[in-house]
Amino acid sequence: MAKRLVCRVADVPENGLKECEAEGGLKLVVANAGGEFFGFQASCPHQDVPLCEGLFDGSTLTCHMHLWQWDVRTGAPLGLAEAPLQRYPIAREGDALYLGGESGALDVGELFNGLNSSTLEKLVSLARRERHPAGAVLYRPGDPAEDFFVLDSGRIEFLVGRGEHAAPAGFMLKKGEVFGWAALLEGYAARIASARCLEEASLLRINGKAALRVLESDPASGFVVMRRLAALIARYLATSGAK
Amino acid sequence: MRIQVNARNRGYEFEALPGERVLYAGLRAGIDLPYECATGTCGTCKAKLLSGRVKDRWADAPGRKFVKPQAAEFLMCQCAAEDALTLEVSKFVYPVEPGVCVPQTCGGTLRNLRPLTHDVLGFALELERPRDFDAGQFVLLAPEGMAGYRAYSMCNYERGGRHLEFVVKRKADGAFSQWLFGANREGASLDTFGPLGKATFDPGLGKNLLCIAGGSGIAGMMSILARATASGYFERHNGRLFFGVRAMRDAFFLRELTEFGRHNVEITLALSDEEIPEKARQDWPGLRFERGLVHEVAKRRMAGNYQNVRAYVAGPPPAVDAAIRVLLLDARLTTDNIRYDKFS
Repeated sequence: MAKRLVCRVADVPENGLKECEAEGGLKLVVANAGGEFFGFQASCPHQDVPLCEGLFDGSTLTCHMHLWQWDVRTGAPLGLAEAPLQRYPIAREGDALYLGGESGALDVGELFNGLNSSTLEKLVSLARRERHPAGAVLYRPGDPAEDFFVLDSGRIEFLVGRGEHAAPAGFMLKKGEVFGWAALLEGYAARIASARCLEEASLLRINGKAALRVLESDPASGFVVMRRLAALIARYLATSGAK
Repeated sequence: MRIQVNARNRGYEFEALPGERVLYAGLRAGIDLPYECATGTCGTCKAKLLSGRVKDRWADAPGRKFVKPQAAEFLMCQCAAEDALTLEVSKFVYPVEPGVCVPQTCGGTLRNLRPLTHDVLGFALELERPRDFDAGQFVLLAPEGMAGYRAYSMCNYERGGRHLEFVVKRKADGAFSQWLFGANREGASLDTFGPLGKATFDPGLGKNLLCIAGGSGIAGMMSILARATASGYFERHNGRLFFGVRAMRDAFFLRELTEFGRHNVEITLALSDEEIPEKARQDWPGLRFERGLVHEVAKRRMAGNYQNVRAYVAGPPPAVDAAIRVLLLDARLTTDNIRYDKFS
């Protein structure tokens, strides 16, 4: 595919933001962090407010509407934000900025975004992309918990309990979110819920043991991932105000 | 009517009364559904309808611009269930914390209506029964028979009381303010739903207070300062209030603010549209006066004084946005220490 021009370097003020439309029609917001350029989805994942109206101090991007914040280097959520930003790598050539490819679900995802690139590549090589039709069941209670999943598109419903007693857990996932993470934990060999596609879904399936071996070979990244996993689990366990 | 809400972390089930707005039914059941204005403006309470039918009680709500009807989205604060519903809310939702006042409907009688300026009225509400609220919260008010609620912050603080104090600014397009200004309403009956709002203060906070208010946004600050001074908060912590109005003729509560000033709170009146009249300084020696927009006045005064600060901001949206910009970029406060209400 031909290089897609985003804008001129001079269009984005130092430590400022600029909404651009790349060739081919993709809208994005470009942040200039002291001469380094980062591209993100143009509007806030919360309420579609244009992020170019937000606040940017050179490292943290804040949506002015409800003060959701992100790390401009990774798109990872900070503070009150409940979802990451889709990141679009930006390449600079001379006085112009181009799209440097789209980041995949793994790199957007809350567990793995911003990791050391060689570790991320190894994880990507473990991932199998799968498409499932609406109604497909990914796993049931008691199934072996060998793989975990990263959602790319579609909606997944989770049910806890069996048979007639099954009740919706009510989880709702966004792009890049991880489920079936029991596969990354010691001592949780079996599923405790069932996961079913509410609409056609695209996801990445990754073997938990293989992913752990990659993370063990890069303990710095592994530590980051485990911290995020702990925070993620705590968030689901937490009651009011404990987020 | 049974309502099932699927949030990002878990599911909830609750019952709604016929015609009751989904948001209010959920909050009443102690489920902290997302909302901000609760009156159809901000769009924060949008949800996606998975099954069932809703009746939109205010199809022209300004907050509708945030929802995509083709994606079955709707505002929980304006829609009532027609039958059993299943919804999706794309946020983390938790039960309300123990000790937080769960909102309820309650009737009340309008009392002590009085002009505070040429276009601001003060009034009180005597509730049917005692209710708790936190300092800085608001309630929704609707005159009997009038469709739709308006949100007003309490100006006082009283635990388990039946007496709420409010201010209201006359607005040409505001149905409630037109109603209130239109005739003698002393003794009129109102419906209330509340308390609501998370820009609350509790003396256990342990931080220095910075309050920035534009116009009638002063209401919630009065409640916060009442709570704080009554508990001797400012013997241990700094307190500063910046109150922005256009000119002296728009200022009110100056006697009450002077009283707060005696409890170690620094009170600054920011006048945006006129030079400070010498008479104002003479009449109100306990207050500071400065010329300028309230966020600029606060920024000048606060420079270098942001240690361990919790900020509260309220007023018209442009004033709130400008103040938040100062608090994030200049003061470098973390977002959990900026609490705000935008009135629109």
